[in-house]
Amino acid sequence: MKRPARIAIALLMAATGLLTGACATVQPWERGKLSNPCMVFDANGQLVAYDNHWQPSREGSAGGFGAQGGGCGCK
Amino acid sequence: MRVQVEASRTGKVLVGALAAAAATLIAASNWADNILTFGLHGFQDSRTVTVLSPVVDLDKDFTDRSGLKARFGVDAVTAASDSCARCHPDGANNQRTYGDFSYRRKYGDYRLELGGEISRENFYAADTVTASLSRDLNNGNTTIAGGYSFSSNRPQLHPTQTVEQQYAQDVYVTLTQTLSKNTIVQMTYDFSRISGYQSNPFLRTSVNDILVVGNAPDLRNRQAIALRLRQALPADTYLEADYRRYWDTWSVSSNTMSVALSHYFRPSFMLGGSYRWYSQTGAFFYQPSYTGDPQYYTADYRLAPFSSGLYGVRISYAPADGLLFFPKHTALDLRYERYIASTNFEAAIFSGGLRVPF
Repeated sequence: MKRPARIAIALLMAATGLLTGACATVQPWERGKLSNPCMVFDANGQLVAYDNHWQPSREGSAGGFGAQGGGCGCK
Repeated sequence: MRVQVEASRTGKVLVGALAAAAATLIAASNWADNILTFGLHGFQDSRTVTVLSPVVDLDKDFTDRSGLKARFGVDAVTAASDSCARCHPDGANNQRTYGDFSYRRKYGDYRLELGGEISRENFYAADTVTASLSRDLNNGNTTIAGGYSFSSNRPQLHPTQTVEQQYAQDVYVTLTQTLSKNTIVQMTYDFSRISGYQSNPFLRTSVNDILVVGNAPDLRNRQAIALRLRQALPADTYLEADYRRYWDTWSVSSNTMSVALSHYFRPSFMLGGSYRWYSQTGAFFYQPSYTGDPQYYTADYRLAPFSSGLYGVRISYAPADGLLFFPKHTALDLRYERYIASTNFEAAIFSGGLRVPF
């Protein structure tokens, strides 16, 4: 197995352990901070889509952060 | 040209369909959580490419269990890169027109979303269908989600009339976990498989001192794992931290780390700053130039080893009484970023958005 794959699997296992070991139950009335746009993943869908379009057009990587858009835009 | 004619016709159809859909939906609005977002993005880089991207989003709830999203946008390239300038010294403009649509519906704790995107530009056409399913667990403190997308892409090998075919499939799974009243984390694994023509017909590399269009492998499997943290800090301050590890079968691997800090000076005014660091290795067949009889060769700068930094500042302004003549809860978002790569490539990116509830 290649080194990047080993690192990724190790990260995945560590994160899974972290998450499953810390499953707090936050009640709805305790979610004030969590509802702030800064706390919501991909809250601004338009910006996320834009970033997911121009960054892969200039870099060799893609994926991991939200859905990917179509089109080339790389001329 | 066929593709240009097709792009123009498709753009008109998209505009008409979205305008009709928007009029129908607004007329039938129940004044729930419906939002129209008008955006304008600007991109200018050191390769003299300038792109202006107006876009409008519609997010409409039909009921508390169903809704839709629609997006229509244009990428107007108002200056050509040096690859275009080689044949068009007076400049060559390009335009991408695209439209997204998705429908969502909840079934108990499950949420299903189906959608698609049509994208047309000179010498490139892409059609994508998407599906995702998520489920809330643990009183909404845990969310498991997965999704699949399929794209059919058709690059035209300009200046010839030859049209190649490329297929892209993507599947991902995401786990989102609330850790406390102030902390939420997310983990994503993403796998995509791209088959078919994957060279860039606009870039030419030197093989034995002769400039030729590149030749890339016709299969690329890409994987990424992302870990993300959102942390509320004291005094209305918020921390966003993301990490992504990426690798693929072309031997490109990368690390991406980003951090953002936002502070609310007033409930209606937020100021934030961000930094993103990116570093990648080159593809196994990437070289500045080639000699002999190489099987694969490319001039695609995206396949070269490099690193980059992205610095950003953003504000959000949402006065309680509404902004100008817009209704309450209207928000103005502005962001400016500078992208600086180790290859001397630089770019300035501006984004503005106005979110209007209706």
